[in-house]
Amino acid sequence: MMERPPTFAYYRGAKQPEFATRTELEAAKLFDYHRIAWEYEPRTFILEEDERGNILEAFTPDFYLPDLDLYVEVTEMKQSLVTAKNRKVRKLRERYPDIKIKLLYRKDFVRLAQKYGL
Amino acid sequence: MPATGPIFLDEQTIRRRVGELGAEITRDFAGEELLLVGILKGSVFFLADLARAIEVPLEIDFLSLSSYHKEHQQTGAKAIRFLKDLDQPIKDKNVIVVQDMIDSGLTYHFIHRSLTLRRPRRLEACTLFDRPQLRLVDIEVRYRGFEVPDDFFVGYGFDHQQYYRNLPYVAYLQPDDLQQSLF
Repeated sequence: MMERPPTFAYYRGAKQPEFATRTELEAAKLFDYHRIAWEYEPRTFILEEDERGNILEAFTPDFYLPDLDLYVEVTEMKQSLVTAKNRKVRKLRERYPDIKIKLLYRKDFVRLAQKYGL
Repeated sequence: MPATGPIFLDEQTIRRRVGELGAEITRDFAGEELLLVGILKGSVFFLADLARAIEVPLEIDFLSLSSYHKEHQQTGAKAIRFLKDLDQPIKDKNVIVVQDMIDSGLTYHFIHRSLTLRRPRRLEACTLFDRPQLRLVDIEVRYRGFEVPDDFFVGYGFDHQQYYRNLPYVAYLQPDDLQQSLF
């Protein structure tokens, strides 16, 4: 169960975000601190459909930064999660080549967190 | 204080690369004047050496930015801000922002946005260390000293709890509390 998130000044969403992980919360705080507007899970991308148009696979990136026109996915260190998200990000890039997305690994976040003293 | 690890960059290597950056900047701004803006505190040694390696007339100024950690703990402030602003206008000036490290690009993005509003003639980024593998914000880094891995360094401006900045070289450090500092 996540702690109640703080009030964010640069969040651009209608309802209070409910973060799935602590890393997502810390990422949101980092964006907000740097005055970067952000949205939480605003769009789901269809990655695969069957011949009838039924959705077989979809992907909802964690963040969208509208000023940068950039989606950000934050992933934990568990190898199975990393592998699965890498695959989804690759498929998203193949199907939506105009969409910019970056995968922020928890190890990357550890490095940034050390810098910012999180 | 923990002992430093092996040396990552010795004095000679740093001096040579800073000299190369200075020569590059001198070529790019030949016949013009410059304002070097150092970001406190990490850039001070780099800026001092870089300025002496540049052969065009230049001024020096500094910016100090709020610390994420301290701001939250001590003041409750929730957004980055300048603790020390520039001492002068930069309109129509050639400005190079000098940093010790660029990784996510979030801090430089804020600096760039803020200084662009003041309408400098040119605004460029110069960093001693660059970690493009951690980049979130696409920023243009015109001058970079070294691309470095995700290790923790001290010396030549880099600190751990404000110590080690005065080492003339850059060394690895693995402080005991590093992993505990996350969450």
